[in-house]
Amino acid sequence: MLHKTKQGLVHIENRRSISSITECSKCISCKGGREERRELWRREGENTVTERRICCSRKKRYKQAIKYFKRYTSNMSRPPGRKQDNHKISRELFVLTYGALVAQLCKDYEKDEDVNTCLDRMGYGIGVRLIEDFLARSAVKKCRSYSETAEMIAQVAFKMYLGVTPSVSCTSATGDEFSLILDKNPLVDFVEELPAERASLCYCNLLCGVIRGALEMVHLAAEVTFLQDKLKGDAVTEIGIIFLRKTEDKKHKRNK
Amino acid sequence: MAVCIAVIAKENYPLYIRSVPTENELKFHYTVHTSLDVVDEKISAMGKALVDQRELYLGLLYPTEDYKVYGYVTNSKVKFVMVVDSSNTALRDNEIRSMFRKLHNSYTDIMCNPFYNPGDRIHSKAFDNMVTSMMMQVC
Repeated sequence: MLHKTKQGLVHIENRRSISSITECSKCISCKGGREERRELWRREGENTVTERRICCSRKKRYKQAIKYFKRYTSNMSRPPGRKQDNHKISRELFVLTYGALVAQLCKDYEKDEDVNTCLDRMGYGIGVRLIEDFLARSAVKKCRSYSETAEMIAQVAFKMYLGVTPSVSCTSATGDEFSLILDKNPLVDFVEELPAERASLCYCNLLCGVIRGALEMVHLAAEVTFLQDKLKGDAVTEIGIIFLRKTEDKKHKRNK
Repeated sequence: MAVCIAVIAKENYPLYIRSVPTENELKFHYTVHTSLDVVDEKISAMGKALVDQRELYLGLLYPTEDYKVYGYVTNSKVKFVMVVDSSNTALRDNEIRSMFRKLHNSYTDIMCNPFYNPGDRIHSKAFDNMVTSMMMQVC
């Protein structure tokens, strides 16, 4: 015997269980049958049949098919190129890790210059590896001039890895020297000011090393330094990039 | 508006203590020191079963004739003690709570500074500014 519920007709023994509805009043397939469904498709387009229009008893049957359909379409919509692992780590963890690294280096070395050199060397090691990831993910074309390179670093690379976009300006007439001006530096979020005995420490010197290493792997020798630093009392943080003469391929040596 | 604000470490020594300069500062140091006993009493009174439900804000620790002393303990046993003038009756419980919350936030910012070693005295300018904004304006 059939019992009438709000959703439709259901067997009397199963009147509590919605999934056993045999005849659904809302479902287009149950109501109008094949002709009405075809009419609807023609009117609104092929892909409008979604879960909502399929009633419960059919939904049970088509569950597997819907699952595969959704998985297939989501795969196709992923952007081409390098496989993206969508694992995000916390920004605080990254900033605190960098801070712990600098603090430990300060404990290990007495002189500020040693700490700066060490950070630069570490950044160099990161840069020579990071450039491959950058080129694979961003798929940018070859830069034709130094200014394009500087723009690429500022607008694409910094945005991709640190989430900030520094502004670029050319500081020399020959077009060899550029400066990136960062008004917000995520690495120094928690550092208020440098301790008194570390007045000449370049806290973010790792970034200079990264840029230098990355440029060297695309055969562009450059000298990267901090021109201004907010932690030392200046108004903004400024990184200066000076492009040196292009190194010859044969003479290319990695400096340690 | 507080008259004296103190941050006490886990081992019960002061990390930061500042009071309104016109009064006898030693008296405030003594008041804060005696309030630590009350804080310890309140923490231990909860018992082991209620340790999860224990609130950070301890409330009024004890009133004297001139001042009221409020306390706040973090889960890492760092205590914040605030001495408030009794004549200032306009201060409500909510305001005291929000002042303690601001103190706690500033304290966590200091802890995140990589050059700060836990257990050192606090010498941060930002913390000083925040405390100044909470202290009473003496004309």
